[in-house]
Amino acid sequence: MPFPPTIARLVSSSLGGPSVRDRADRLHFADAGHGYDRFGQHPDFVAMGDAVVAPLHRRYFRVQSYDAHHIPKTGAAILAANHSGTLPMDGAMLWADVLRQTDPPRAARTVADYFVTSLPVISTLFARCGVVGGSRGNARALLQAGELLIIFPEGTPGIGKPYRDRYQLQQWRVGHCELAIRYRAPVVPIAIIGAEEQMPQLARIPMPRAVPFPYLPVPATPFPLPVRYHIHYGEPLRLDREYTPDQADDPDIVRRAAERVRDRVQAMIDAGLAQRTSVFR
Amino acid sequence: MNSVLVTGATSPLGERLVRSLVADTRVSHVLAVDREPEDQALPFSHGKRLTYLSVDLTRGRQVRELLFGPARDLECEVVVHLAQHQGAWAEGSRVHRANVEALRSILDLADRHPTIRRVVVRSFAVVYRVAMHLPVLVTEDHPLNLSPQAPQYVRDRVEADLTACARMGLINAEIVVLRCAEAMSPGTGSQLFDYLDASVAIRPAGFDPMVNVATLSDLIAAFEAATHGSGEGVFNIPGYDTLPLSAATRKWGTLCVPAPGPAVSMIYALRHLATGSSFSYGLNRHSMHFGLILDGTRASEILGYRPNNPIDWPAGGPVRRSVS
Repeated sequence: MPFPPTIARLVSSSLGGPSVRDRADRLHFADAGHGYDRFGQHPDFVAMGDAVVAPLHRRYFRVQSYDAHHIPKTGAAILAANHSGTLPMDGAMLWADVLRQTDPPRAARTVADYFVTSLPVISTLFARCGVVGGSRGNARALLQAGELLIIFPEGTPGIGKPYRDRYQLQQWRVGHCELAIRYRAPVVPIAIIGAEEQMPQLARIPMPRAVPFPYLPVPATPFPLPVRYHIHYGEPLRLDREYTPDQADDPDIVRRAAERVRDRVQAMIDAGLAQRTSVFR
Repeated sequence: MNSVLVTGATSPLGERLVRSLVADTRVSHVLAVDREPEDQALPFSHGKRLTYLSVDLTRGRQVRELLFGPARDLECEVVVHLAQHQGAWAEGSRVHRANVEALRSILDLADRHPTIRRVVVRSFAVVYRVAMHLPVLVTEDHPLNLSPQAPQYVRDRVEADLTACARMGLINAEIVVLRCAEAMSPGTGSQLFDYLDASVAIRPAGFDPMVNVATLSDLIAAFEAATHGSGEGVFNIPGYDTLPLSAATRKWGTLCVPAPGPAVSMIYALRHLATGSSFSYGLNRHSMHFGLILDGTRASEILGYRPNNPIDWPAGGPVRRSVS
């Protein structure tokens, strides 16, 4: 990286079928003048990401989605999901699933931890597909522009949780609810079943500050297992209707709202697990 | 409006602004000042609506004599302060006087000046802090780069910006600070221009940040809007073109070569020593990793400024802007 969008277009044409190109052509996209948006997203790279992820989505993880009609077709919204799996395949599968389940397709903007933006190559590729660094300013600008945000309120501790803690939500950060209340966005709770078993983590080695990532995971398997993903979309929580933007400054209101989202996600996880017959089916 | 005083009038931006103000029928007279001797300054005919004076703004006495002499006699209402030392590698007390103390003197004197009612100050996007945990899209409340390790080029610009901001509402003149995107023109002190104008540009491997660049025409439009506007405050002045650094190098016709960060730093330090080029990687290290795009919403809403002039990229295609 970087390589020009023509290469991305070639890759997406080679790997993906006409449906990938069709989705890219119908994408809602705010061109800042040279084919990129202000955060660096480019439709050809979205198509490339779509084409690269498609075999994983369709064949490897065999993603099954439920109640996808809860994803807003237009306007700002926050998709809040549980996070796990040692490698962020859950983020990629959710992103690809939203792209497939929305019409016209919406390339959700995944909000990543700060350190992701400091990783060479990966930061650029991710930015081209729509990933943004997890700063309040980025989230504000995107919500005001009517974008769809994927936020994992568990953050990095979620993806790094040990196997024994699978499907137990870690500390649930509250920032997504503050944003939802302040910028009038519904919150769609999402439960991702399957990811928590894909790459069981045995231990993690903390990294010194100079290294751009916080720890080195020690997984039980060298690559993610072909678990089946089940993505459950919950009914949107209309915090924007229940509270006024000024109430985003009230820590109690924001904390209570975040607890509601957390409880909803946990309940959907529990229901999804009860419904599932096998990790791989 | 009576008259406008423009400092830094012989810089490319100053000269274009002076031309524009002279042609503006709302302005009765333009008082242009810079350090250049009168016979070498402003090579265009201007009739009786322009006066040029050679003034050294680093000398407080000359600033006082300017403001309470010709500027008062011409009933200057607005001061547009563009004078800044352009060299990224320049250091020392004289540079600091040019960058900061000159502005401080102008603001001090404007407070008790009989005719000046507005001071428009040119600031720079480089005053903003760039870091991985900060937003890419920068509003006026974004953290400033107050690092003591920052080069004097940055420290002076931040100090000048804060000096202007600190006096807002406290003196008898309105203060407007325009934090401008880099202008893709020679002689404007643009680091990005110097970076792209080489035959080979070295880029930190694996990173391709978004950049926003402006034309002189857009910056002139912003200064005109600020000159004729009312109220005070800080405004981001973005340019029309927003694109990745790699695309900018391609469109400029520059060969872009990736290299590890420490090597980029060393190459540009050697290049400076060998050729005297202005680009400093140390100055731009963070923005070449994480990017910085000015959000011009406030300038659009209050000053009515919107960038309208795309850069004429030497090797680039047409620019289109749309929401599909």
